[in-house]
Amino acid sequence: MSESISEAAAPEVAAVGLPSVRGVGAAPRKRNDFLYYGLRNKKLVFGLGLELILVLVALIGPMLAKYQPLQTTLPLQHPGSQHWLGTDLTGYDMYSQLTNGLRESYLIGALGAAFAAVVGMALGFIAGWRGGWVDELVQMITNVIVMIPSLVLLVVIGSYLSSRSILFEGAFIGLTTWPWVARAVRAQTFSLRGREYVELARLSGKRPVSIILKEIAPNMASYLFLAVILLFGSSMLIAASYDFLGLGPSGTVSIGWILNQAENGSALLYHLWWWFVPPVAVLTAMVAALLIANVGLDEVFNPKLREQ
Amino acid sequence: MRRYLTRKLITYVLAFFVGVTLDWALPHFMPGDPIQGMLSKYNVGSNASYAALYQQFSSEFGLNVPLWQQYLNFWHGVLTGNLGVSIYENPASVTSVVFQAMPYTLALLVPAVLLSYTLGNRLGAAAARRRFLDNWVLPVGYIFQAIPYAGLALLVPFLFGSLWHLFPTSLGYSENLIPTFDWTFISSLLDHWFLPFLTVFIVSLGGWAIGMRNLVIYELENDSSRYLRALGASERVVRGYAYRNASLPQLSGLALQLGVVIGGNIVTEIAFQYPGLGSLIYKAISNEDYFLLQGIFIFIVIGVLLANFIIDLVFISVDPRTRLSMQGAAA
Amino acid sequence: MTPTRSRNGRRWRYGTAAVAVLTLGVASACSSSSSTPAASGSSSASASGSTSASGSTSGGSSTLSFPRSETLYTSGTAYGPPVNWNPLDTGNFATGTQGLIYEPLYLYDPIKNQYDPWLASSAEASGWQGGKYVITVRSGIKWSDGQPMTAADVAYSINLARTNAADPYSANVASVANAVASGNTVTVTFKGTPGYTEFTDYLWKAPVLPEHIWKSIPASQIATTANKNPVGTGPMTLDTANQQEVAYQTKPDWWATAALGYSFKFKYLVDVVNGSNSQELGQLTAGNIDWSNNYLPGVNMLAGAQGGNSGYTLKFYGTASQHYMLSGNTVWLEPNTTKAPMNNVNFRRALAYALNPTAIAQAVYDGIASPAGPTGLLPTLQSAGYVNSSVVSQYAATYDPAKAKAALAQSGYTGQTLTLEAPQGWSDWNTAQTVIQQELKAVGININVIEPSSNQRTADLDSGKYDLALDNNAGLDSTPWSYFQRVYQLPISAQQNAQMNWERYTSTSDWNLVQQAATINPSNTSQLDSIYSTLEKDFLQQQPEIPLWYNGVWFQGNTQYWTNYPSSTGGNQNIPAMWAGYLGSMTSVIGLAQLTPAKAS
Repeated sequence: MSESISEAAAPEVAAVGLPSVRGVGAAPRKRNDFLYYGLRNKKLVFGLGLELILVLVALIGPMLAKYQPLQTTLPLQHPGSQHWLGTDLTGYDMYSQLTNGLRESYLIGALGAAFAAVVGMALGFIAGWRGGWVDELVQMITNVIVMIPSLVLLVVIGSYLSSRSILFEGAFIGLTTWPWVARAVRAQTFSLRGREYVELARLSGKRPVSIILKEIAPNMASYLFLAVILLFGSSMLIAASYDFLGLGPSGTVSIGWILNQAENGSALLYHLWWWFVPPVAVLTAMVAALLIANVGLDEVFNPKLREQ
Repeated sequence: MRRYLTRKLITYVLAFFVGVTLDWALPHFMPGDPIQGMLSKYNVGSNASYAALYQQFSSEFGLNVPLWQQYLNFWHGVLTGNLGVSIYENPASVTSVVFQAMPYTLALLVPAVLLSYTLGNRLGAAAARRRFLDNWVLPVGYIFQAIPYAGLALLVPFLFGSLWHLFPTSLGYSENLIPTFDWTFISSLLDHWFLPFLTVFIVSLGGWAIGMRNLVIYELENDSSRYLRALGASERVVRGYAYRNASLPQLSGLALQLGVVIGGNIVTEIAFQYPGLGSLIYKAISNEDYFLLQGIFIFIVIGVLLANFIIDLVFISVDPRTRLSMQGAAA
Repeated sequence: MTPTRSRNGRRWRYGTAAVAVLTLGVASACSSSSSTPAASGSSSASASGSTSASGSTSGGSSTLSFPRSETLYTSGTAYGPPVNWNPLDTGNFATGTQGLIYEPLYLYDPIKNQYDPWLASSAEASGWQGGKYVITVRSGIKWSDGQPMTAADVAYSINLARTNAADPYSANVASVANAVASGNTVTVTFKGTPGYTEFTDYLWKAPVLPEHIWKSIPASQIATTANKNPVGTGPMTLDTANQQEVAYQTKPDWWATAALGYSFKFKYLVDVVNGSNSQELGQLTAGNIDWSNNYLPGVNMLAGAQGGNSGYTLKFYGTASQHYMLSGNTVWLEPNTTKAPMNNVNFRRALAYALNPTAIAQAVYDGIASPAGPTGLLPTLQSAGYVNSSVVSQYAATYDPAKAKAALAQSGYTGQTLTLEAPQGWSDWNTAQTVIQQELKAVGININVIEPSSNQRTADLDSGKYDLALDNNAGLDSTPWSYFQRVYQLPISAQQNAQMNWERYTSTSDWNLVQQAATINPSNTSQLDSIYSTLEKDFLQQQPEIPLWYNGVWFQGNTQYWTNYPSSTGGNQNIPAMWAGYLGSMTSVIGLAQLTPAKAS
C-alpha cells in the first residue's frame, strides 16, 4: 500500500517528467530566448493561462462568497442566484467551500513540492556525487520510504498532534514522495559527474558542494524546474486522496474533504451532482493545466522538441 | 561484477531488515491500545470484568510479553510464515485473511496495470508519430492523469450505477450468492470487478501514454537517431530503435508499479467496497489490528524489494555503461 | 520492429484477460473455502431435510444462492466479517447470535413498557417472592441439537455469570448468592438485599446457554471462544457465513410458533456487512437490502418515493413529525469535570444555555433525529412516567444566549481555547462539532475541534485526558437506572474502563441514591420516583452532562419483497433494530415475525 495512495499520482506523473532527464544535455540558453519560444508555445500559454485563472479564483473567490464555508444555511439548494453552486445536505454553501478548497489545494501543492524537491534533490546529489556506499545507503533509504505504508505513517504521526494542520499534510506528502526525484537526480548527477568541466573543477580543488551547486545543478536546471511542477500537481492529488479518506487537515475545507462529505451524504444516489462534479472538475483542471504547461516548458527548454 | 552484486545483495538484505522492523514498529506506535479499543464495543458491566477480559485477550494476542519479545516473536513468525491471529477477524489467522483478500486485489490491479501499460505505450508511440493523434491523445491523456482517484471513484459509479444502472457499484460479488466455483458466481465477480477496474485503468492509462509519447519524441530527436538517419536508415528502422530505447524506462516503471500492487488501491477499493487488500488495510488501521497490518506489509516489503532488484539486474545486463560506471564507483 | 511490438501487444492482452479470470477464480475458491458449513457441521436434528440453501433451491440459475422472495436481507449492524457466534462475546458476535439463535428469559418492550415472557413462562413481576426470585421456565423447548432446554440450563447460565468475571453479565448478578433448579423452576437467592434493578436487567438482557455444551469450554475462554457451531433455542439456525454476510435459516419447529403464534415468513435471513452510508443507501434502494439499520443521511428525502418510477417504497418507524426514527440513545456534550473551567458548575450551565439542541439536530440530521430533552432521558422512559416534568420546568437550562453569557461571567472562564473531541470519520458527529463550535463562539467560548482515531478517543475518555467530548452511551432501557449509573458512578479510577462516569463527576449523595435505587423492589414505585426526581434535579442543577440529541434507532424498510415493517402506526409496534443489545433483548424478533411477503408466491 505504501504507494497505493501516492501511486494515485506520483509514479505516473513522474513518468511524464522522467524523459526530460535525457534532454538535460542542453545547457541553459539566454533568457530572452526562452521567453521568445515560451510565448509561442501553445501548450505553455494555454496551461499557464488556465492555471493563472484558477489561481485568481483561489485568491479572489473566497472574498466574493456570501457565506462562510462552514456556515449552515438552507440545505439542498440547487445552484442559483442565492447559492451559485448550490448547498449540501447540511446547508453548507458549495461555492464558498469550493473556492476555499481550491486555496487549500494550492497551498498543499506548494508545500508538498517544496519539501519533496529539497529532500529529493539533496539526497540525489549526494548519492550521485559520492557513489559507493553512500549511494547504496541513500538507495536503501529510498526503498524503505517506498515500502513504508504512508497511510499508517500518516495516522501514527497525526495522532501525536493535537490537530492536523495544512503544513503537516504538505510536509508529510513532501517527505513521502521525494524518492522518485532523488532517483532521477542521482542518475543525472552520476552521468554529469564524469564530464570534463566537472573533472576540471574537481582538479582545481573546488569543494563538492560548490561543484554541485555551480557546475551540476545549473545543467539540470530545466529538469529540476519541471520536476517541481510535477511534484506540485501530484501533491494536490495525493492530498485529495488523504482528505477523501478523512485523514486531511482537521477543521478546514479542502476538495478531497468535500468529496468525502459528498460520499458520506450519498450525493450520488440523491443525484446531487453539484456537490461533487464541480470539485472534481476544478481539481482535474488545476492538475491538467500544470501537466500541459509542463510539456510546453519542456519544449521550450529543449529546442529539439519544439514544434517545427 | 560479483563484488557489485554482493554489495547489492547486502543492501537489499539490510533494507528487508529495516522494512520488517518498521512494519512491526509502526502499528505499535499507533495511538490507543487495540484491546482497549476492542473492549469499548463490549458492554462491560464493571472494572473487574473488564480486567478479566483484558487479560484474556492480551494473552491471546501475545501482547502481554515485553516489547523486545514481541519483536523477536514477530521475526520468528515472519521466517516461519506464521503471522499470528487477526484482531479484527478474530480468531482467523492473518495469513488466511490476507490470502482471502489478495486474489481480489491482484485481479483488479494486475490486469489494470498491464492493460494500461500495453495500451498506453501503443497510444503514446502512435501519438509521437502522428500529429493528428497527438492532438487528441495528449489532452485526453492529461485529463485522465489529472483526475483525482477520489473524484473518479465518485463519477464512475454515479454514471454507470446511479444514472445508467449498468454495473453494480459495491461489493466483490452479489450478496444473494454463496461463493462457489460456478458460472453464476464467476460472472457476478466479473460484473462487480468491472467498474473498479475501469477507474484504475483510466487513471493509469494517461500516464503511460504521455510518458511513452515523450520518450519516443526524445529518442527520435537525439543524436543516435540523427546518426542512423544520416547513415541512410529508413524512418521505420529509426522508429524501431526509438521505441525500443523508450521502452526501457517504461519497463522499469512497470516493475515498480507491479511491486506495490500488493498494497491494493485503497481509495478505489474503499469507494467500491471491493474486498481486496486495500480495503483490508483501511479496516486494519481503523480497528488497530496490529497483526493484520504487519502481515500485509510483509508482502508489500517483499514486492517492492523484488521489483527493485529485478530493475537493477535488468539495467545492468542491458546497459553496459551503468555496469562500468557502477564498478568504477565501487573502486 | 513494429511486428515485434504488436506480437507483444497481443500476448499481453490475452495474458491480462487470463490473469483476471484466473485470479478471480482463485478468489471464488478462497471465498468458498472460508464459508462456514455450519448447518451441516452441527448435528442438527431439528433442521429440516435441507441443511443449507444449496439443497433447497432448484432453479436453473445457480445452485448456491438464496431465493430472493424467501430471503430477508438486513444490514446496519455488522462492521466486520461474521466470525463469532458466542453470545457472551458481546463486542464481537455476528448479527443474530443473540435473538435469532440464543434467547433471553424475557423480552423488554420499551414502547409498551412491559416484559414479555420468553424462555420464562411466568410474568416478570410475579418472580419476586420475599427476597428471592423464582423463574418458571417454559416447558417443551428444545435446543437446536435436539436436547431439551431445562431449568438447569437457566440456573447454569446465572451461576456462570456469578462465578466468572469474564461473563459480560457478571455485574448484573453481583448480588446473587445462588441459582438452584428444581423441576421447571429456578430459585435465585441473594446475598442480603437483592440488586433488583441489575438482576431484572439480567432477565431480559442475558442469553440462556446450553449447559451440555458450555460446560466443556475452559473458564478463561467463555467470553472469547468463537463458537462456530452455535446451538440455541431461537427461531433460526446458522446456515453459512463469509466475508460479506452471514445467513441464517428459519427453524420450522421454533417453540414460539406453538406457544405464542409467532413465525418467520422468510426462509432465510442474510445480514450483510456494512459499507459506507452511500453504498448502503444504494443497496437499499436497489432492493438488495430489505431492512436497513444504517444511518443514511438525507434518507427522509426518499420518504415520498412511492412505487412508480422509483420502483420502491421506503418505510420508516415514525412519521415526519416524529423525525421518522425511534429515539434510541442520548448524545451528550461531555465536560471533563476534573479540569477548569469545566469543574465550575456555572461554566457547565453556560454550555447548556449556549447550545440549542433543536438547531443542532436539524443542521446535523436534517429532520431524522430528535433534539434531546433537558434530562436526556429517552422519550420511551418519559412516556413510562420516569421524567418529572415539574422538576424539568423548574431547573432546566434551555437555550438562552443571554443567560449563557451571564453564567459564563461567573464561571472563571478566561477565554482559553478548549478542545472538543469526537472520533474521526463519524461524519455526523464531526458536523455537529462545527455547529457546536459556532454556537459556543457566539457566547464567547473558544473551541478547537479535534478528531482522534476512535481508539485514541476511547483512551482519552477512559483516562480523562480531554476537555469536552461528544459521547453516547445510554440506550433504550427499562428504567433510568443505567442512565444515572452512567452519569454518577463512583469511585473514579485512573482508567474508567467500564465507560461509566466518563465526565468524572463526583457527587457522593447522588451515587448513594443510584445505589439505593438498585436495591428497591420495583413494585415500590413511589420511593423510586422520589429518588429519580432527585437525581434529575441534581442533573439539571449540576449539569454533569449536556444532552444534545437522540440518535435514532435508524431503520428503513424497502417494501419490494417484504411489507408490514415495524411502525409507530399500525399493528407492528416493535423495535425495528437488528443491533446487538436490541435483537435478543427487546421486541425485534416479534417485529421480524410480523413481516409478510409483498407478493403472494
